[in-house]
Amino acid sequence: MNTTLRIGLFLTLLVCASHTMEAQTAVIVNRSVPASSMGLKELLDIYTLNKAHWDDGSRITVFDLKRGKTKEAFYEYIDMSEEDLQRIWLRKQFTGKARPPRSISNEEELIDMVSRTPGAIGYVTERNIPKKSNVRIVARVKQR
Amino acid sequence: MLPLLLLCWPAQHAQAQIDSDLQLFGSMQTVFFHQESRIDTEIPSTGTRNSGTETRNTFALQQMDLFFRKEIGDELTAFVDLEFQLNYSSEKQWGSMSIQEAWLNYHISDAANLKLGLLFPSFNHLNEIKNRLALLPYLFRPLVYERLLSEKFYTEDFIPEHAFVQFHGALPAGNWFVDYAAYAGNAEASYVSRNTPSGGIETDLNPNFEFLGGVDPSNLKLKLFGGRIGMRSRDEMFKFGISVTHDYNNLRDSTRYPSHILSGPARRILGSDAERFRIGSDLSGRYKAFWFELEGIKVIYDYDPAERFDVELEQSFFSGVLGYDITSEITTYGSLQYGDYTFGLDSDYFVYTFGGAWRVNESVTAKAQFIAYDEQFNDVPGDNLNLISQQVTITFVFLGFSILL
Amino acid sequence: MKTTVSIIIAFLFICTSAQLRAQSDETSLFGSLQLIFFNQKSHMMFTQVPPGENPQLNEERSSFAIQQMDLFLQKHIGEDFTAFVDLEYQLNYSSEHRWGSFSIQEAWLHYALSDEFGFKIGMLYPAFNNLNEIKNRLALLPYIFRPGIYERLLSRLFLSEDYLPERAFVQLHGGIPLGEVFFDYAVYTGNAEGSYISHPDENGAPVNDHNSNFEFITGVDPTEFNLKLFGGRIGIRARDEQFKAGVSLTHDYDNLRDTTRYPQIYEGPRAPLRGDARRMRLGGDVSGRVGPVRFEAEAIKVFYDYDAAERIGVDLDLDFFYAMAGYSFTDALFVYGSYEGGSAVFGERWTHRTVTGGAAYQINDFVTAKAQYIVYKQFLDESLHIDEATIRFVFLGLSLVL
Repeated sequence: MNTTLRIGLFLTLLVCASHTMEAQTAVIVNRSVPASSMGLKELLDIYTLNKAHWDDGSRITVFDLKRGKTKEAFYEYIDMSEEDLQRIWLRKQFTGKARPPRSISNEEELIDMVSRTPGAIGYVTERNIPKKSNVRIVARVKQR
Repeated sequence: MLPLLLLCWPAQHAQAQIDSDLQLFGSMQTVFFHQESRIDTEIPSTGTRNSGTETRNTFALQQMDLFFRKEIGDELTAFVDLEFQLNYSSEKQWGSMSIQEAWLNYHISDAANLKLGLLFPSFNHLNEIKNRLALLPYLFRPLVYERLLSEKFYTEDFIPEHAFVQFHGALPAGNWFVDYAAYAGNAEASYVSRNTPSGGIETDLNPNFEFLGGVDPSNLKLKLFGGRIGMRSRDEMFKFGISVTHDYNNLRDSTRYPSHILSGPARRILGSDAERFRIGSDLSGRYKAFWFELEGIKVIYDYDPAERFDVELEQSFFSGVLGYDITSEITTYGSLQYGDYTFGLDSDYFVYTFGGAWRVNESVTAKAQFIAYDEQFNDVPGDNLNLISQQVTITFVFLGFSILL
Repeated sequence: MKTTVSIIIAFLFICTSAQLRAQSDETSLFGSLQLIFFNQKSHMMFTQVPPGENPQLNEERSSFAIQQMDLFLQKHIGEDFTAFVDLEYQLNYSSEHRWGSFSIQEAWLHYALSDEFGFKIGMLYPAFNNLNEIKNRLALLPYIFRPGIYERLLSRLFLSEDYLPERAFVQLHGGIPLGEVFFDYAVYTGNAEGSYISHPDENGAPVNDHNSNFEFITGVDPTEFNLKLFGGRIGIRARDEQFKAGVSLTHDYDNLRDTTRYPQIYEGPRAPLRGDARRMRLGGDVSGRVGPVRFEAEAIKVFYDYDAAERIGVDLDLDFFYAMAGYSFTDALFVYGSYEGGSAVFGERWTHRTVTGGAAYQINDFVTAKAQYIVYKQFLDESLHIDEATIRFVFLGLSLVL
């Protein structure tokens, strides 16, 4: 087998292997965010819009996925149902307290939005995060 | 292979715009209701009895709110609520249009915020969201919050309708937040100068220097002061609190207290400012598919003329709602409310309601509600000061849609 | 080599990520504004005047005004729902000065089951003839001053609601394709006419002409079902929207106890008329384009079925018609002429005729300049001491899309 073919086969196996790995959900923030790790309570406070600012005083911009297994895994991790969160977000929006999370259709776009928005936070499948992007992982969702 | 790998890297995107745009959103609720009313009057001294009934059906745009919100930097948020009620038309003089809230919030920290402007102060559970019909499963709110009845029930006797400065925040405490709020505002609305149909300005205090409508002519002593302290679970599933306010009730306001419905002693205490305390308590929460909301309000007066003439001014209101989520889209509930009148009147009212709401999609909710209101007056002074008894029963069936804009 | 290329292509395919746009259901805000200047010359001729008094009355005025401004909010909710709100300001509205008016004209939710079947609920303009649904969309009309009964500036003079169903609350409607045309249909219901609706008295207390005992809010209808509005329209519309015709019908009641609208009419011999008069409106409309020529015509006949009027020999029926023809000289310039007329009764057959000519020049997508000349004549048979009135208007205006 020539060298080119060997490399090609290796790369293909590598890609296939990444698909068969368990789909770990990771919480990501824009690199401007002054936090390197985040606990469950803090994530709950952010997604219930009770925490609206980072420690340096900058606003938190929250992103959410429209649907999918990653969303289910994250909601299960913070132990909130979609209905409960929608109800909480609506109340906070209609009392002027907060802007509801921006709902994004797919993970690639969410990563792009978080990387481009200072103070942003979101959650995605870890393997979808490009190596050299402007985001940092601050938490990994533990499966219950 | 290196160029090949480089090709897989994501393309460069333009820097994201910082979002400081004015957000515009809103809600509207359109209803159809059927109302059957009955009034029975008896004069015990003469044995005379009279009855009156009425039936009506009406469509209405019950309420529409337009909200504007703007984030100004990291610390400031501006918010405006324009509210339209009951098919509002200035030409036909239907309904009303008003600014309900217009404030600026300065965020010092999550535990400390300062809000300035026209605002709904924090009192019990419903006061801050009393006109956010899109958030409520009801078409017809608990009586003291139902703006359709604010003239009949003198809502402001029970709840502080508006404030202008509020200091508030939430302090994390384990799995809870401790919520606090302290606020101040104008004296109650009946003190505020108003425009007359002939174009003049009137006020119950000193009209000599009155040239503006909509301002409070009273001094600091009569202003509203109040606050709330409570606890809220971190997952927002449980909440309770206690609220207190201090202000004065304008007992000069002859449009609110027409003499023919007051007892003889009560007429003697009119004409001055009655010191008023409102004490409220609230408890609300969710447990699995069940949800509940309880509120109690006690209004206490410290007013010498009332004590001298032995006129009872205290009022009470209680509301309890129990609901059940049949599915994530459908909820059903039942509620019981109780309240009493004052000024020497021996009267109580009860309200029984049940209803349901179906969330058709994230912006549209269909609602239905049945309401039975029952009010019993005794020893009301009628014509020639004969005492009369009066019972009023009103039933409503409401059907409606709530739409988020 | 072929295998190598295949693997490289497969690898590139794996690395490529699709670009998808996020959906947004934001509420869109838009509107229109019409600014005008008008000159009005009025002339009245009296046949019976006290001795020494002038049998003629003349008046001239000129005025600038924001004739109307509308703010529209629209939100698409998923695939099937649309929410829509129309807030309307008229005539330099100011609550302080008590000028003009401000009102919600429409606020509805539309559910489109299909193109053939739609359901609208909320405050809405019902489908009646051609203009009723768009009567306040001044940006869509070449006129500054609309045909009399649609001209909201004259809604008190012409008592528009006698001729038109001003608003409804539930409407089923759709367009069924039939070859080269659509068959349009609409059926609707709503509150009784505006004069029944509860309103404040001089002290601010809510009252109505029926039973005020339980009245505690304004803006609601105190009547039972039998007095409500029911109506509909059927018509055909060319698939290319170049032609449209239809017939409309409504049934409701006229509040003849409303003494604020008719303060002098229900005294003396007409006092027996007080009550609820059953009313049917019948309308016909045709409109279209042939090349650069555009035309619109409508007719409305209002019939009453009211024993009290028949007993004292009073004819309550009303009629109105208008026809407009215009020519588009260019894409931007439209010139038109119109003729309208009608009669109003209550035992006094007075008639009116209006001739107008005007032009609209579309400066760009958002701005249209308009000019219009109107001559209105009104004749009375019986004497209310006014036999003939002539009013001439010259309107100049700018219509803006916001």
